[in-house]
Amino acid sequence: MEGNILDAARFIGAGLAMIGAAGAGVGIGLSVQGALGGMARNPDAYGNLLTNMILGIAFSEAIAIYCMVIAFLMLFKVV
Amino acid sequence: METEKRRPWRRWVVLVLMIMGFVVGEYYFVPVQPGITFSAEKLIEQPLVTLPVIGPFYLVNTIPPLIFTVLLVIVIAFYTNRSMLKSARSDLVPRGIGNLMEAFFELIYNMTEGATGMKLAPVIFPWFATIMFYALFANLLKLLPGFEAIGILRPVAGGHPIQPLGIFANLLPGQAPNGYTLVPFLRGVSIDLNFTVALALISVFMTQVVGVQTQGFGYFSKFINVRTMFKVPFFGAMDFLVGLLEIVSELSKIISFAFRLFGNMFAGLVLVAIISSLLGKISILPSMIMLFELFVGVIQAFIFGILTMIFMAQATQGHGHEEEHEEVHEI
Repeated sequence: MEGNILDAARFIGAGLAMIGAAGAGVGIGLSVQGALGGMARNPDAYGNLLTNMILGIAFSEAIAIYCMVIAFLMLFKVV
Repeated sequence: METEKRRPWRRWVVLVLMIMGFVVGEYYFVPVQPGITFSAEKLIEQPLVTLPVIGPFYLVNTIPPLIFTVLLVIVIAFYTNRSMLKSARSDLVPRGIGNLMEAFFELIYNMTEGATGMKLAPVIFPWFATIMFYALFANLLKLLPGFEAIGILRPVAGGHPIQPLGIFANLLPGQAPNGYTLVPFLRGVSIDLNFTVALALISVFMTQVVGVQTQGFGYFSKFINVRTMFKVPFFGAMDFLVGLLEIVSELSKIISFAFRLFGNMFAGLVLVAIISSLLGKISILPSMIMLFELFVGVIQAFIFGILTMIFMAQATQGHGHEEEHEEVHEI
């Protein structure tokens, strides 16, 4: 066993930061579920629902991206 | 009459290029995982100019693509203007790039009108369209070949060995005691926090300006809310605290705007770098990731614009519901 304990803490911290991506996954799943339910009930609204669904997905995805930015901040020793 | 069957020869070109990519990646130029840096790197160590108050100004590798982006937008604007003028002089039928831009801007103008109403759309639309168009080109330009791939070799501890090819050199995978790392000439504009923070600051500041334009200085009563303080002391104090929270939410808008765009583009950079160094021999897969990056770039530019538009539309609507409450009380 050798190495720097700060490096170890950095990797563990990056891994812990990515836990937040689970929330984004749930959010994306819920928005797709809602949009698909809407499309199944009302196929005419397909295009409108798809656009808004992608917008909503991009918002949820941004949360995971924030987590990833924090993880990379730790990995690349920026702070 | 017998119609001649179309011979799709272009797909064979693509196949040949794929096989060539495979051979080159397998035997000649083995892909190297680039050194991923969080911020833009300096191309020249000395600062270009040193401004008196602000400090030194370096030539970083996001400056050249920024100049390309601005030039591209100016050129498109010039040709669109010329095309529209030509059609206005002749028969009022837009053709070519004028037609394309008219369709595009009509689409997003109708979207703005739907969200803000007929009267405010001319005020809000320029900000929406400018930010979206600029961010769109900034995001898409980084997909061109040559970005992140060609640059200066710098000696660094734990770098890669190099293979000299005349005055050029090629990085090899692995580690060497006196190795090199690549500082690319071109780096995507939006993979630089300076760019995204600047856009976010413009967006949030102009939201306040649009709010003041439409509501006068009553706009700021959203933040320091003392209107109901003396009539209903308890709920008035609550409203005051909510107003302070509004200030925090304006500030957090800057952070979320900046990190949304930066994070998405940076994730794309890391994804392409890692996928192509892991699976570089199967050269079709990184190009699939590039295709996904195209999608992400368009979506993120659109979201940046549309969020600006929505926040501006919110800023133009005052605290309507409270006045309604008061009216009900008085009646």
